[in-house]
Amino acid sequence: MSAIKTQMILAGVGGQGILFSSKIFSELGLRLGLQVVGSEIHGMSQRGGSVMAHLKLGAFHSPLIRTGGADFLYSFEKNETYRALTFVKNAGVCFVNLPDGDGLDPKIRNHLKRKQIKLKTCDASGEAARLGSIRAANLVLIGYSFGTGLIPFRDKDVRAVLESVSRREDIGRNLKAFEFGLKRAKP
Amino acid sequence: MSKKISSKKTQVLLGNVAIARGLVEAGCHVVTSYPGTPSSEIVPAVVEFKKSLDLNTYVEWSANEKVAFDNALAASMTGKRAAVAMKQVGLNVASDSLMSSAYMGVVGGLVIISCDDPGPHSSQTEQDSRFFAMFAKVPAYDPSTPQEAKEMVKEAFELSEAFQIPILIRPTIRISHGKQSVRLSAVKVLERPASFQKDPDRWAATPRYRLLLHKKLNESLRKIQNRFEKDRKWNQEIRTSDKTSLGIITCSASFTGLMDILEELGLKESVGILKIGTPYPLPQRRVSEFVSRHKKVLVIEETDVVIESQILDKSKVLGRFTGHVPSQGELDPDVLYEILARIFKEMDIASLKEHKDIKLDKLIESLDLPVRRPTLCAGCPERAAFFAIRRVFPKAIYPSDIGCYTLGLNFGAVDTAFDMGAGITFASGFFQAYHQDKKDIPIVATMGDSTFFHSGTASLLNAVYNDARFILVILDNEVTAMTGMQPTPGLGITADGSQGRRIILEELVKGCGVDWIKVIDPYEVKKFIKYLKEARKHTQKKDGGIAVIIARHPCLIRYPDEIRKRSIKVEVTEDCNLCMYCLDYFECPALRLNSEETGVEIDRVLCIDCGICVEVCPRGAIIPVKKKTGAKTEQ
Repeated sequence: MSAIKTQMILAGVGGQGILFSSKIFSELGLRLGLQVVGSEIHGMSQRGGSVMAHLKLGAFHSPLIRTGGADFLYSFEKNETYRALTFVKNAGVCFVNLPDGDGLDPKIRNHLKRKQIKLKTCDASGEAARLGSIRAANLVLIGYSFGTGLIPFRDKDVRAVLESVSRREDIGRNLKAFEFGLKRAKP
Repeated sequence: MSKKISSKKTQVLLGNVAIARGLVEAGCHVVTSYPGTPSSEIVPAVVEFKKSLDLNTYVEWSANEKVAFDNALAASMTGKRAAVAMKQVGLNVASDSLMSSAYMGVVGGLVIISCDDPGPHSSQTEQDSRFFAMFAKVPAYDPSTPQEAKEMVKEAFELSEAFQIPILIRPTIRISHGKQSVRLSAVKVLERPASFQKDPDRWAATPRYRLLLHKKLNESLRKIQNRFEKDRKWNQEIRTSDKTSLGIITCSASFTGLMDILEELGLKESVGILKIGTPYPLPQRRVSEFVSRHKKVLVIEETDVVIESQILDKSKVLGRFTGHVPSQGELDPDVLYEILARIFKEMDIASLKEHKDIKLDKLIESLDLPVRRPTLCAGCPERAAFFAIRRVFPKAIYPSDIGCYTLGLNFGAVDTAFDMGAGITFASGFFQAYHQDKKDIPIVATMGDSTFFHSGTASLLNAVYNDARFILVILDNEVTAMTGMQPTPGLGITADGSQGRRIILEELVKGCGVDWIKVIDPYEVKKFIKYLKEARKHTQKKDGGIAVIIARHPCLIRYPDEIRKRSIKVEVTEDCNLCMYCLDYFECPALRLNSEETGVEIDRVLCIDCGICVEVCPRGAIIPVKKKTGAKTEQ
């Protein structure tokens, strides 16, 4: 059993594939022999509201992450990023889907810098659109995060997970989006 | 995602899927339910196991929770194992059956799964189902993880059969919608041919026999309490030191939340923890003994004071009665942290740091982020119906009900959302109150098809019988949409996808005594408006009555092919003067202010080309795109 203990928040709005992204990391944890706990929101919140998933890999008990507890934030939408920032711990990492040229509020960027929180942005939606499948933006961002080398997991494990959890017709598209993101981080 | 259930021994399962797995591992024969967050995923998961493992399980989406309860109970009376699942407010509907079932008892195991919603995230109340178990004198299990929920389901069947008593399991939303790596066990197939043993003294007991049944129930509860005293699996003490002055008694998601915080802070040795998995009947001796060993005992439980109120000597107890634990809302890790910080300070155990980044919170607050409230989908037929209702009767009273369409309150088309069926009962109640004062006001009630099947008929025939006058619009999207697209009696497809018998909504309404019924697609806004005006006249005629309009158009999430059937691409012309009417009274997510805030524009990603907004704009500034110029306006 590995000693990895990782907590992550996945944030965005309905339809951005947050639950699927959470499934990818859950299966990754399972593959690596880690305990997996997490929490999702169903029901009324699915009607266009904010969607947030909590996921903890390693020796944890509770499915929820508390304020300042998350090692990683994956955010697929700008405003939802702000709402989720409170969960990120000092020296944590945020991967944010933002169009090129757009950025978070400068005061908040400075504040994050003081807390040594790394902010990594990627135009995942733009890249996914160029790939011809806007719905794969989540995988571009995940690929990008692996490309930065800040994630304690290996790319090849994600590829294997993607092959097992994607719908058969989406496997090719999802792998391609992942590689696209990966390359974007390593020019 | 994949339809096939993997055969791996450990899988990451949603709590509700783990509960379903527990049911099939226990060899449960009959599963009934009415959908409701956070319980809705249990039945679909049982169906998946049934199909992938080729089981003979009978699975039913029932018309309502009481119906579901009785059907499961009857199966248990024939010796089979049965389970009924619902959300916590569903147990209110089934409570008549619950109370009586404790006295009458069961033969085959009967497990009641009632999912609580502290928060509340998706419910009318934060009621604690464990109180209902206590009220009914039904033993209760309270899982703290999906894995535990699965194992408790299996033990509950054994206990239920050993004492011939129904058992309640109360997962909270963080168990039901939490996920965890869960170890699977073998699936059991139990041969239990249905065999109902006649015993009128029990199954049709008169009050004299009920007294005897009550006595027997009390004896069983005492024995079960003794069993729970000895249990070390669900009632577990985490004892790290003999010298702890503070003891914490806790359960469910509060237990796991506390464990993470104490481990993270390295304070696990500073407190004793007693985790309770069987809150009723409470293992009193264990609890008393734990209390006696500590100077103070903090009780942290969701959602109400079930354990705390059962503790006999409260002189050392801190909790809700002493104001140390909030009496409403979810006990999420931040709330738990604050409770601990206060007690640790009071008892001089440790000083916890301020955990919130107040400066960050203030910076984010200053951004004044738009609130992203839930809303009906772009193209939702219910929005079209609400729009027409508001246009014809801008000042009517709008009683509504529980479902997606409750979101009609975003644009002022819903005045009340109380409980299942109250769309109609409030309409008749409002009518009678005004009618008594000789006032005639328009009342337009709205209710979904599934809600009407659940509790509309008694409400409607009562209103007809007492000659109430109002318009009822049944929003018939041919599915239970809000809870995840379960089939309805109107569709005639049963829980496992097999063919049942379809109930024709308009015939049912007619059977309730309504003689003015129109069926229309709410996308036909003009015709719908005409019907609404005629309906009002009918309610005002001396020999008239209640008018029912069935607004029938399939849910676009459930039936995405419906979207392609109609394609009216629209554009906003320069005539838009930003009157905000479409944004305030139509609230389609595909209509938004343009970035210069000079006019309204169409969000092409969200728009599904239903074209209803053409009818909405008072200035006619939203128009169908002309074929010729279509390519140009695409940008």
